[in-house]
Amino acid sequence: MSSDVEKSIETTEKLANDLNYDTNWCDMPPEVKSKCIGKMEFKERLSLRCTAKAERSLVDSEKIEFQKGSFLGESERYGPLCQVSLDSKDGSKLIFKNLKDPFELMKYIWKVGNFENLVIHIPEGTSFEEKVIKYTGKMSAKNVEFNVTLCATEIILAILKNTKNEFESIKFEADHDNDLPIDEILATPQIQNAKYWHIRCYDKKDTLRKVAQVWIDKNSVIGSTFQLYSWLEGPFDEFLEHFAERIVSKSEERVRVRTDNADRHILLEWGWNPILKVHFELDNYFRLLVISADIKESEYDDDCIGWIRKIHPNPDIDYNYFP
Amino acid sequence: MSSTEQGTSSAAPAEPTTAPESAAAPEVPESFYYVHGKDKVVHKVSAGALQHSALIHGMISNLGYTEEQAKANPFPFENIDGDILQMVVDWCNQHKGKPTPPEDTNLPKQKEKLFDLVLAVNYLEIKELLTYCCKQVAMMVKGKSPEEIREIWMIPTDAEDEAAEKEAKKRAGKEAAGETAAAAGDAK
Repeated sequence: MSSDVEKSIETTEKLANDLNYDTNWCDMPPEVKSKCIGKMEFKERLSLRCTAKAERSLVDSEKIEFQKGSFLGESERYGPLCQVSLDSKDGSKLIFKNLKDPFELMKYIWKVGNFENLVIHIPEGTSFEEKVIKYTGKMSAKNVEFNVTLCATEIILAILKNTKNEFESIKFEADHDNDLPIDEILATPQIQNAKYWHIRCYDKKDTLRKVAQVWIDKNSVIGSTFQLYSWLEGPFDEFLEHFAERIVSKSEERVRVRTDNADRHILLEWGWNPILKVHFELDNYFRLLVISADIKESEYDDDCIGWIRKIHPNPDIDYNYFP
Repeated sequence: MSSTEQGTSSAAPAEPTTAPESAAAPEVPESFYYVHGKDKVVHKVSAGALQHSALIHGMISNLGYTEEQAKANPFPFENIDGDILQMVVDWCNQHKGKPTPPEDTNLPKQKEKLFDLVLAVNYLEIKELLTYCCKQVAMMVKGKSPEEIREIWMIPTDAEDEAAEKEAKKRAGKEAAGETAAAAGDAK
């Protein structure tokens, strides 16, 4: 045992001799510096990276979590200057305006940031549009939102392709007149593997069957969900017609179709007003889901308003009508 | 070596108390170890408190010291100032067997002490305390400009760094030339 004791003391002494304590930031080992940087807010990190080259490379190697990152290009709505705003996990907000080279800052933030929510509205004609389209660096975000009216199509595709394939949700906001490149969007692995995605205010008839077809082709996992908020009634009929040979069951509110995988079915639901027991007058809400083939009709989720609120927080429900 | 036994009330493993008949197993007496810093002041710490330090825990886990052996062989941490080691020991004692809170407001605010504590804690591998310390270090520069940070943390500019590097190279070159000349002189 005494040799164990000696060995332990030797270890302590050896480790002790390896260190030369001081009370200066510059004498801290890089791993400790990185840990400290990891506790700093973005503004302080930017300041620290301006102090010296060595600090810059350390700061740049440390990822930072953001609750939300909004990247807004020049537009009639946002004004002639682009704006970047970053919300920290602790609730503080940092806004950058009047930037000399907005793309340089955006690129840096995309490189070091892990976003809970990412909002990108960079319209066509923005001074740095080409740079964003050509950007190939990887971005990391759980949830992303695009306003189709305010974001150039090419930019949407570039951002989708550059984002790590780990989305929990992807949201598109259209305005009923937009022409989304739905085939190109559906071709991205990020959309194919998203747990949830939706398009608001979009009226292309074939959208639902195109999404379902991609899920069939890619054997998408159970739980994959797509929602559409549209003014058209047509999508339901179009879907029935396209998948006529795959129909397992159909009713006024639901269509269930087979996929090529015997374990999985796809369920299309048409949201209805639970108070009036009818479909909404103008607004049509559709939900498409990959479900287990074992699920019985009695097990369907009838909380229509629950899922509708994910795409429209205030659906037009006439509660006064309720007796 | 001076010895001030601190931190816990009992020096030796407590005599096994007579357990109530209903108890399934007799209480295991707690074992203690001894550590000292640069000032040679010995601190007596329980194995439970020392579990916070991955370094010490790794060293003692298979030792099976008797009280006498532990007392006779305190772990020397010659690179840690006595007051810093005292802080570490106090923290380990306070948080013995308890879940660590999300914040620790008792950490030193002075830069020198905090950096010394960070280095000691990093060396002793006390993960939770290191997290608190790093947060405290980060707070030191909250809202500060690059110039202010450089001043607070004594970070040299790139130009100063380059000049220092050049100077060091020059000095090393001179020393090497001196050694060569001396060796040539010896050969003659």
